Amino acid sequence: MTDDLQPALSEALNTLWTKFLPELVSRVATLESASASLAAGDLSITQQGEANVAAHKLAGVLGTFGLTKGTVLAREAEIMYSSEDGTDPELAERLGAIAEELKAIVANRK
Amino acid sequence: MSHRILIIDDEDDIREVAALSLETLAGWDVVVANSGAQGLVRAAECSPDAILLDVMMPGMDGPSTFRELRKNPITAGIPVLLLTAKVQANDQRRFADLGVQAVLFKPFDPMTLSAQIATALGWS
Repeated sequence: MTDDLQPALSEALNTLWTKFLPELVSRVATLESASASLAAGDLSITQQGEANVAAHKLAGVLGTFGLTKGTVLAREAEIMYSSEDGTDPELAERLGAIAEELKAIVANRK
Repeated sequence: MSHRILIIDDEDDIREVAALSLETLAGWDVVVANSGAQGLVRAAECSPDAILLDVMMPGMDGPSTFRELRKNPITAGIPVLLLTAKVQANDQRRFADLGVQAVLFKPFDPMTLSAQIATALGWS
């Protein structure tokens, strides 16, 4: 393991980021849609489950690409969506804000 | 020294980043599988030195895959490291109780993943 290989890895990671960006954007869109449904009081169990999975996957991967704050936010969303109160409309404002912030974080990664 | 690692993870992005990291920085030979079932086959076929196994997968999850690996004499002795995004204490205790070599957490740092694995397995 040599330090001189790290720039090559960083460059390759950027290529992978570009490759997987559509999938990451899609996961954030799932969270946006779920929070909007929650705010409207019609979040289905299926949609809640999808949001939970999307949040879990984002939590697992964003930090791997250097987006530590994204992992923290996605983990917060995962905990909320997986809780017994996961369909409580009172959570909508926070979950909506998390989705919005994640969208910006993903869009702004250099 | 070169090692062969099998990565079992259903998430393409995680699998590819981990493989890239281990191949680029450590020079290890990486084999991948995108499900627990495929991982069982690959493990028996390629005799890896260690397995990096995701916990949360559809179908056969990580703990189930680990138990199946232990049932097969060909794969029973291969060290397994669980890879999980679960950070709650009760999850960590449950994973440690399985008898895996180590539990690594997502998100991992691609720059240090191979060092983490090497340390956990006592590879110098």
